[in-house]
Amino acid sequence: MTWLPESATGATPIERAFGLRPDLFAACRDFAALFWQKRLVDPTLLELCRMRVGQMVGTELPALCDAMRDARASVPAAKRADVGAWWNSAAFSDTERACLRFAEQFVLDPKGIGDNDAAAVVAALGDAGTVAFVEALAILDGFSRFARFLELGAES
Amino acid sequence: MIPARVKPPATTSADPIEASPLALQPESLSAFLRAYGTLWSHGVVDQTTKEMARIRNARRIDCPICKAIRFAGARREGLTEELVDRIRDDWAERDLAPRHKAALRAVDAFHDMAGALDPAGRRELLANFSPAEIVELSAGIALFLGFSKIAVALGGLPDEIPVHEQPTPQVPAGR
Repeated sequence: MTWLPESATGATPIERAFGLRPDLFAACRDFAALFWQKRLVDPTLLELCRMRVGQMVGTELPALCDAMRDARASVPAAKRADVGAWWNSAAFSDTERACLRFAEQFVLDPKGIGDNDAAAVVAALGDAGTVAFVEALAILDGFSRFARFLELGAES
Repeated sequence: MIPARVKPPATTSADPIEASPLALQPESLSAFLRAYGTLWSHGVVDQTTKEMARIRNARRIDCPICKAIRFAGARREGLTEELVDRIRDDWAERDLAPRHKAALRAVDAFHDMAGALDPAGRRELLANFSPAEIVELSAGIALFLGFSKIAVALGGLPDEIPVHEQPTPQVPAGR
């Protein structure tokens, strides 16, 4: 539960807190949702990264649109259970492994992303796809921390 | 210098964004510019405080382009390089306004504690900012952090870029 003493109306903690700045919330939500709604990156891959980034940050970014909620359902339960130790699981494809490896280093320190690790993502997603993927990681990383900062993690 | 991870678009544009890899995804770039313009030009937090938070984040990430930029609105409000110089790792011992120290502590919490802020930090924010301002400031930090990391992760930037002023981001026309 957030420590902010005021809230806006909304169905979820993030809507009630971010709604205190409604135009900024709308613009940020539209920006974030675009990656799922327009499938700029495979939504299943985004969901795996949303979960893994959330594990590392300590709070998962709550769903901001129906397409994000749908993506949750696209990941089988067994795979969801393994995402925190994906390197030990045979359930993940080469592309998922490359992207999860890149995502983890992005969260820890993007300067530490190795040339081979970046090349593996570019080989899998292409130039434009890599840009979309990195932008989506920025949203997941930045706004998972935002959710932790304001304690907005769980949906009501 | 980190090598460029992707090829930038083929363009003769002098606009640094249109010539950057971000232009490979025009729809997301447009949506980002709308969010960023809303933050900077339709906000409730003063430009100087947001700019100090942005620069503190840039130094934490060590993003060459983010460290070099100064937005014109903060300059107009009186942000000087002498003040910017106090936003280093010893900022807590420097002569800074309580509001600015609260904002810098928030930035460092995003980096050091993955966003977790201790009760003293919360009290400090609530004493210096309205709830709407806290939301705007923390959303701004989320955007600053994410997009500094994009610049570093996509590579292709020189290690040092001279400090220079840029217009305060606006919501682009038609967006």
